Amino acid sequence: MIKKIKRTLSEKILLIFILTLGIATFSSFFIIKNKCLFVKNYNPEKINFEFPENIAILNTNCGNVIIQLYPNISPNSVSRFKMLINNDEYNNIAFHRVIKNVLVQAGDLEFGKKNNLNYTYIGTGKSGYGAINSELNTKFDFKKGTVGLARTDKINTEDSQFFILLQDAPLFKEEYTPVGKVIYGLDVIKKIKHSAKSEYVLRPDFINYFKLLR
Amino acid sequence: MKFFIIIFILILISPANANTILYLIKIPNLEIYSNKSDNGLKYLQATKPFEVGIRNNNVSCFNSSEKLLEKKFIIIENNLNRYSSDFLDNINLKYIVLCERLSVAEIQAAGVPNNKVKTLIVNITFNEEYFERVLHHEVFHMINEAHKHLFLDSEWISLNNSDFKYAQCSTCSDRLSLSLRKKKDGFITEYAMSTPSEDMAEVFSFLITNNMKIDNISKEDPILKKKISYIKKNILKIDKNFNF
Repeated sequence: MIKKIKRTLSEKILLIFILTLGIATFSSFFIIKNKCLFVKNYNPEKINFEFPENIAILNTNCGNVIIQLYPNISPNSVSRFKMLINNDEYNNIAFHRVIKNVLVQAGDLEFGKKNNLNYTYIGTGKSGYGAINSELNTKFDFKKGTVGLARTDKINTEDSQFFILLQDAPLFKEEYTPVGKVIYGLDVIKKIKHSAKSEYVLRPDFINYFKLLR
Repeated sequence: MKFFIIIFILILISPANANTILYLIKIPNLEIYSNKSDNGLKYLQATKPFEVGIRNNNVSCFNSSEKLLEKKFIIIENNLNRYSSDFLDNINLKYIVLCERLSVAEIQAAGVPNNKVKTLIVNITFNEEYFERVLHHEVFHMINEAHKHLFLDSEWISLNNSDFKYAQCSTCSDRLSLSLRKKKDGFITEYAMSTPSEDMAEVFSFLITNNMKIDNISKEDPILKKKISYIKKNILKIDKNFNF
C-alpha cells in the first residue's frame, strides 16, 4: 500500500510560481511576436475630413496610415503622387530604406516590387513616367509626419519614391518637395521593419495598398 | 555592477544613429549649430568624430569644444557673410561643417569642399595666421567645381612662364607654405605653385582678404596681374555684382 504524501505549503507555492511563469512565457511569446498589438488601426470611414479629396490611405501590416495631401503647396508633385496612387502603382511596393525613428522610404516601382525585389538596385529604380521638377518651398517646415518626394543628389529628379519623417528635419526645408503629412497612424509607420546595421532592409515590409479616400 | 558598466560603455561606443542630416549630406554625427545666417548658410557641428569619403573613408574630422566653436564661428560667419545668398546658390554651397583636426588621407587639411552635397567641411583648428584667408580659398574650390568651364587649367597655365610646371597634385610637392612670397614671378605663395586650381584659389583668397596688397604686388608682377584679372573677369560672369 502506497501512502499518499501531502504537499507542503512551500511545494504548493513553488508549483503555482512555475505554472504562472510558464503561462507568462507562453503568452509573452505571442505578444512580442505580434509587433502590431498595441498599434491603433484608424478607420478612415469613421473620420470626418475637411478635404476628403486630398486624403490618401496607405495600408501596411499594422494598419492604416492616413495622409493629407498638399496640392496647394506642391501642385505638380501631388498630382503625380495621386496619379501613381490611383493607378495602384504603390501596391506591394517595399519600404526599402528605413532609418529607425528618423524616416521610412518607399516607392521604388522598378526594383521594390513584392516577389520581384532586386536588392542590388533597390532605391535606384524609376517609375517609367519620367522625373518631375522639384517644388521647393521657402516656408514649409519639415516636421515629424511630413511626406516628401525623394530624389537623387540633384534637384528636379523626383519620380515615385517618397519618404515619411519620424522626426523633425529643419534642413529639409528648400531641399525636398513636400506632398503631405500623416494625420493619423504615425505609430503604424514606426512599426515598419528596420535593420540595426543598414538603412536598407533585407526582407522588408510592404505597402499592402495605397488609395485615395475619394 | 561590472556587467552594467560594460553595457553602458558598449552603448557609448556603438555607432550613432543616423539622422536626417546624414540622409541629406552623407556625413554622420552632425547637428545644427546655427541656421540663422543672413545668406542662408547652415552651420553644422560634429558631435562625435566622423570619417567619410569615397575611398576608405579617407576624410576624417573630430568634434570640438563649445568654447572653440563659439570663437571660430564668429570669424567664419563674418567671412562667409561676404557672399550673397544668390552667389552661394550659384556655387552650390549651403552647408558648413565645423570640426577640428580635419585630415584627408591623413594629411592635415584646411577644408574639404563637396559640391555634390553643397557642403564645405572647415577645420576650425587650422593655422590661425591663415585661417580667414583659407576659408575663401576653400570657397573658391566650390566656385571652381560649380563653374569648371570658366576656370580652365589650360588657360591658366598659359598665363605662367612657359618653363614653369605645376606638381601632379596639391600635396605631391613640398610647396606647401601659405606665406607671401617675395619673388615676383606670378605666384603669390609657395602653395600656389602646386596646381593650377590651388593657384587660382590662392589668388582669389588674397583678392577677398587683402585686395590692396595683392593689387600693389601685381604692379611689379605682370603674370600675377593677368591672373588677377582672369579671376575677377570670371567671377563677375557668375555674379556681376560681386564685390571684391
